Amino acid sequence: MLRFIIRRLFLLVPILVGLSILIFLWIRALPGSPAQALLGERATPAAITQIRHQYGLDKPLYVQYLRYVDTTAHGNFGTSIVSRRPVTTELRERFPATVELSVAAMLFAMSLGIPLGFLAAKRYGTIFDHVSLVGSLIGVSTPIFFLALVLKYVFAVRLGWLPSIGRQDVLLDASHPTNFYVLDGLVTGNWSAAWDATKHLILPAIALGSIPLAIIARSTRAAALDVQNEDYVRTARAKGLPPRTVDSRHIFRNAMLPVSTIIGLQTGLLLSGAVLTETVFALPGIGSWLANAIFNRDYPVIQGGILFTALVFVFVNLLVDISYGIINPRIRLS
Amino acid sequence: MSVAQIEMVELDAAPSGGLWSEAWRRLRRNPGAIVGFSFVAVFVFVGIFAPLVAPYSALDQHLELIAKGCCPGPSAHHLFGVDDLGRDEFSRVLYGARSSLIIGVVAVSVALTAGLVVGGTAGYLGGIVDSVLMRAMDVMLAIPGLLFAIGIVAMLGPSLLHIMIAIGVTNIPIFARLLRGSILAQRENDFVLAARAVGVPRRSILASHILPNAISPVIVQGTLALATAIIDVAGLSFLGLGDPNPARPEWGQMLTNSNNYLQNAPFLAIIPGLAIVVSALGFNLIGDALREALDPKLRGRE
Repeated sequence: MLRFIIRRLFLLVPILVGLSILIFLWIRALPGSPAQALLGERATPAAITQIRHQYGLDKPLYVQYLRYVDTTAHGNFGTSIVSRRPVTTELRERFPATVELSVAAMLFAMSLGIPLGFLAAKRYGTIFDHVSLVGSLIGVSTPIFFLALVLKYVFAVRLGWLPSIGRQDVLLDASHPTNFYVLDGLVTGNWSAAWDATKHLILPAIALGSIPLAIIARSTRAAALDVQNEDYVRTARAKGLPPRTVDSRHIFRNAMLPVSTIIGLQTGLLLSGAVLTETVFALPGIGSWLANAIFNRDYPVIQGGILFTALVFVFVNLLVDISYGIINPRIRLS
Repeated sequence: MSVAQIEMVELDAAPSGGLWSEAWRRLRRNPGAIVGFSFVAVFVFVGIFAPLVAPYSALDQHLELIAKGCCPGPSAHHLFGVDDLGRDEFSRVLYGARSSLIIGVVAVSVALTAGLVVGGTAGYLGGIVDSVLMRAMDVMLAIPGLLFAIGIVAMLGPSLLHIMIAIGVTNIPIFARLLRGSILAQRENDFVLAARAVGVPRRSILASHILPNAISPVIVQGTLALATAIIDVAGLSFLGLGDPNPARPEWGQMLTNSNNYLQNAPFLAIIPGLAIVVSALGFNLIGDALREALDPKLRGRE
């Protein structure tokens, strides 16, 4: 197992190097020089020369690249042009909101998608199967931000059941030791704060979880259909095991193997989708931070944000691969 | 169905035509495909003939209608009402199909062509070329799709061309990997070995023996990519990275604008939103039906 993990970690090296080169070149290719971006449009040539020297922009490209890798590896992502605060600080403040949202969205998608897909496979060819297939196709065809707007309009504006923006009620006084608001409420024993934070998560999580829900339901159905015709399932049935045992032990467990990889791949979708969801629901996470940075042309934030999300994505997939190796010995040994 | 039954069905199935004629036969019988084709047909027709179909131009303002505030709903003259600037919503939705159609088709063609070249080269040459190309694709895949597109448009500046490039580039690795995998699977086939043994040059083996057989998953993916492209374009404009030309309305942009009038004029959000859903659904339905129709495992089974 250790060898599998080590080999998998080695595969990460070229990806990280490539990623750093890509993002480094991306900054160079931006319209206007970084010095100009820092100083604004009316900077004097002398000031630009000075800044270029100060930031090492007059050095050869490979020196600049090595410097960039060095500072980034030390966790320095630069300073936001707009707020003048370190990108890392802002990242730390905002990341919990996005994690909270993504976890809530994934919980929603999995808790509905897996049973739906499994039931559809069990009732292959029935109305239930067809409806869930069409439903999942509609799910993947619906843009997140459209669903988010509709949910906001119906449940927040019209019915007033749920809050429409932010992470907690503005009037609520709650302490936040971890910045994960639901967790904070539970840890500090402030139940009303925890409930309030949860209520704020419901609509965004449904909006963000809709596409993963559709994809998980479909792949669970497909995987369960594949497994249903395996010889070992027939054998299990033939030797008289109760259908429920066959369902849970032989079909469900094996069908979950491909589905677990699919779930890992959805992380990228969640991170992309967070940009749109957080914008609609005014959630102060990484997504809305990036969207604002785009609007303000705050390049250090865009760059740091994209690099960071890419790193999260790569590491989540690494974890998924490793756990896949743990649950599926065939992968590990090959 | 038991294994024996499945085998009987397979034996019964007459060896009908080739993969494609059988696929076509199955597509015509799939209600999902028919619905998908009709959605896409409407979408493409409206996209091409928008100026002829639309009652007003995309920029005609009817300011007298919004004098009493935003925004009057559907009426006989304005099927879907007018937007906050007094422009006919129906006409703008029709024109919106244009942007989505052009961007979708160009972006997917870019991705398909580049992906074919990269994936084909990697899959057929193998070795170090394969490793280098595929690691490069992995790097591109490491950045979540929409974020990658956002980065590219932010770098190049928002314009129609740059949006096409951004959406196209983010899709390249998907096609490249798909085609490479497919080629690797085909390369070991007996007919390829036979062609090589007879002395057919490598390039024509690739062009006339491997590619035609490896292409079907790529076609399925291409159809599905069109759906994603439509949604991603809308997402980009929703974030303010859309085509800045007001004469080319875009569904995502219309949604953003409607955000402020949600309370008084929800139809301004619902109509362009539904337009996106219906066109994306059309391509997804076709892609799904194509996948089933082209799946060799399902051949001969009904």
